[in-house]
Amino acid sequence: MKKKSFVYPIIFVAVITALYTFVLAYLNHSTAEKIEFLQDTELRRKILNVFDIPIASDDPDVIESVFNEHIHVDIASDPPIFYTTENGEIRGYAIPASGPGLWGKIDAYVGVSADYSKVFGLEFIAHSETPGLGGRISEPDFLEQFRDVDISNPVDNMYIIYRPAPGGNIDSISGATQTSKAVSDLLNAEIHEFIMGKGDD
Amino acid sequence: MAKERVSKIFKQGILNENPVLVQILGICSALAVTNLMMNSLIMGLALTFVTGISSFTISVIRQFTPKHVRMIIQVLIIAAYVIIVDIFLKAYMPEMSKALGPYVGLIITNCIIMGRAEAYAQVNPPIPSLWDGIAAGLGYTFVLLAIAFVRELMGFGTIFGMPVLGEWWTPWTIMVMPPAAFFLLAILIWVLNSKREGEVTK
Repeated sequence: MKKKSFVYPIIFVAVITALYTFVLAYLNHSTAEKIEFLQDTELRRKILNVFDIPIASDDPDVIESVFNEHIHVDIASDPPIFYTTENGEIRGYAIPASGPGLWGKIDAYVGVSADYSKVFGLEFIAHSETPGLGGRISEPDFLEQFRDVDISNPVDNMYIIYRPAPGGNIDSISGATQTSKAVSDLLNAEIHEFIMGKGDD
Repeated sequence: MAKERVSKIFKQGILNENPVLVQILGICSALAVTNLMMNSLIMGLALTFVTGISSFTISVIRQFTPKHVRMIIQVLIIAAYVIIVDIFLKAYMPEMSKALGPYVGLIITNCIIMGRAEAYAQVNPPIPSLWDGIAAGLGYTFVLLAIAFVRELMGFGTIFGMPVLGEWWTPWTIMVMPPAAFFLLAILIWVLNSKREGEVTK
C-alpha cells in the first residue's frame, strides 16, 4: 500500500505544511497594513491618554490630528520618547518602560512631568499577564490611580510604592502580587534612570 | 444525515460526555479564564469554532493521512486555524482581540480539540465530525459560563460586567483567585457524577 511506503508520509506532511503556510502567509500579508494602522492608532490613543489629553472621538483620523497637534517624538531613542509642549515649553515626557512580568515582557509608557515632580499617567502597550488577575493592570481602575501622582519624594529611589508600605501611593491588585511587583519594579527603574540621565545634561 | 444523529451528537458533547465534567479535558483553561463571564464566553466560542473546523478538516483528509504522522498533521491543522482566528480578530475585531489577549494562542494547547480529533474525527465522516467538534466546544462553553457565573457574581458582584449585587455586597476575593475555580469545578463534577452514577448502576 502506498501509505506504508517510506516517502509518502514525508511528502504528505510537506504538502500539508506548505499549503497551510501559504494560506497563513497570504492572510498575514493581506492584513498587515490594516493591523499596523490599528496598532498605530492604538499607540497614539494611549500616548494621548498618558498625558490626559482628551480626544473628541474614537475616529482614527481625529486621534491622528490631535496627536500631531500636541505630541512630539524624540526618535533618538528606541523605543521613542514622546513629549508634549505647552506655550513652547515642554510640559512632560512619555517614557517607554519595559521589563519582565510574571509570564512575559511588559511594555508600558509612563508620563512624567518636565520637572519630574509627578506622574501624569500610565498605559500598557503589551503584556501577557493572566487575564482577570495580573491582566487587570490594563484596566481603568488600576491605571487611573496613576493620574497626577506626586513623585517628588522618592523613598530609596522608589517612586511607585504600593500601600500600605510607607510612602505608598498606589493600590496593588489583589491576587496578582507578582505582576503588581513587576509593574512597580519596571516603572521605578525606568523613571529613576530617566531622571538621572536627564539630570546630567 | 438523520436529525436524530445530530441531536445525539449534541447530547453526547454537551451532557453525557461533556469534555470538562466527564472527560476532564481542558481543565487548565477552565480554571484560568472563568473569573469573568465575558472572557469565558469569548474563549468558549473561539474554541468551539476551532474544534469544529479542525475536526472537519482532519476528517476530510483522514483517508490520506498515514497513521504514524497523524498527530503532527492534527497539531499543524489546529495551530493554523488558531492563527487564522487570531489574525482575523486583530484585523477586523480589534476590541475583541484586546479582550482575548493571550487566550487565542492558548487554544492550540487545549486538549479537547485533539481529543475530539483522535477519538472522533479520525474515524468518522466530515459532517458528523464538524457537529461533534461544535458540540464538544459548546459543552466546554456551558461549563465555563456556569463556573464564571458564580465566580464573577461573588467575586465582583457583577454579571458580564454589569453590577447586579449593589454596594452592600462584599466581594469575595477568593472567588477571583485560582482556588475558587478548583472548588467550583470539583463541586460541579461531584454533583454531576453522583447523578450519573445512579443512572449507570441502574
